[in-house]
Amino acid sequence: MNENLFTSFITPMMLGLPLVTLIILFPSLLFPSSNRLINNRLISLQQWALQLMSKQMMSIHSTKGQTWTLMLMSLILFIGSTNLLGLLPHSFTPTTQLSMNLGMAIPLWAGAVITGFRNKTKASLAHFLPQGTPTPLIPMLVIIETISLFIQPMALAVRLTANITAGHLLIHLIGGATLALTSISPTTALITFIILILLTILEFAVAMIQAYVFTLLVSLYLHDNT
Amino acid sequence: MPQLDTSTWLTMILSVFLALFIIFQLKISKHDFYHNPELTAKMPKQNTPWETKWTKIYLPLSLPL
Repeated sequence: MNENLFTSFITPMMLGLPLVTLIILFPSLLFPSSNRLINNRLISLQQWALQLMSKQMMSIHSTKGQTWTLMLMSLILFIGSTNLLGLLPHSFTPTTQLSMNLGMAIPLWAGAVITGFRNKTKASLAHFLPQGTPTPLIPMLVIIETISLFIQPMALAVRLTANITAGHLLIHLIGGATLALTSISPTTALITFIILILLTILEFAVAMIQAYVFTLLVSLYLHDNT
Repeated sequence: MPQLDTSTWLTMILSVFLALFIIFQLKISKHDFYHNPELTAKMPKQNTPWETKWTKIYLPLSLPL
């Protein structure tokens, strides 16, 4: 049963060729690049959504932090579209792979921290010691703050992986249970079917929320360091 | 858990680099957020030919008395 449950998370390769690259590149097909001043409906809609998101997320940053707008906007669109496409039946969701989430979280977090170190060295080192700590506690607190700094990229990656994987697993399990129950007792199958519908609605919300949370946290790390 | 099979990690990370950092950013950078056209209330002041060049006569030491 373990084997059957986790087969949807195996990286798709076809005879050694990386099919997964095409799957990861697919969401970019859904965002056509704008060629004209006034575009068609789809591109105008996406442009409006992009403007809304960038105003909401980037207004708290300084001028230097706002240079990251392109990066953060493409991040939220990438994660959001990948998660939503993964809710289609039999599709492979790249964000369930820990490797990919680490590949996104570590460079972005490292970029924010190194920017802080290079430009505002004293202020970024000051993050290690919160204000107003009693003197005997200082060494221990510095160690704790260092650990909490280095755990940030790991937490980002694992949070996204675990949330999406768990959601997909639940859908698999409850869907399988509903199917098995229809021949035994249709009433229970109906109850499990309703649970499945509610779960799918939750998964839609989770897909978008996770994208938002990831981007928000990266933007927070950026705010601390610019 | 198949996610922990590190043989595919290099392919995944390279694909993500390609998709996220290059393709998506190229597409989004082409969006043009233009300002709404508006009427300028006044024309900018045009410089007369003698105001465009600094000439020696403005130096206080060379002014007569």
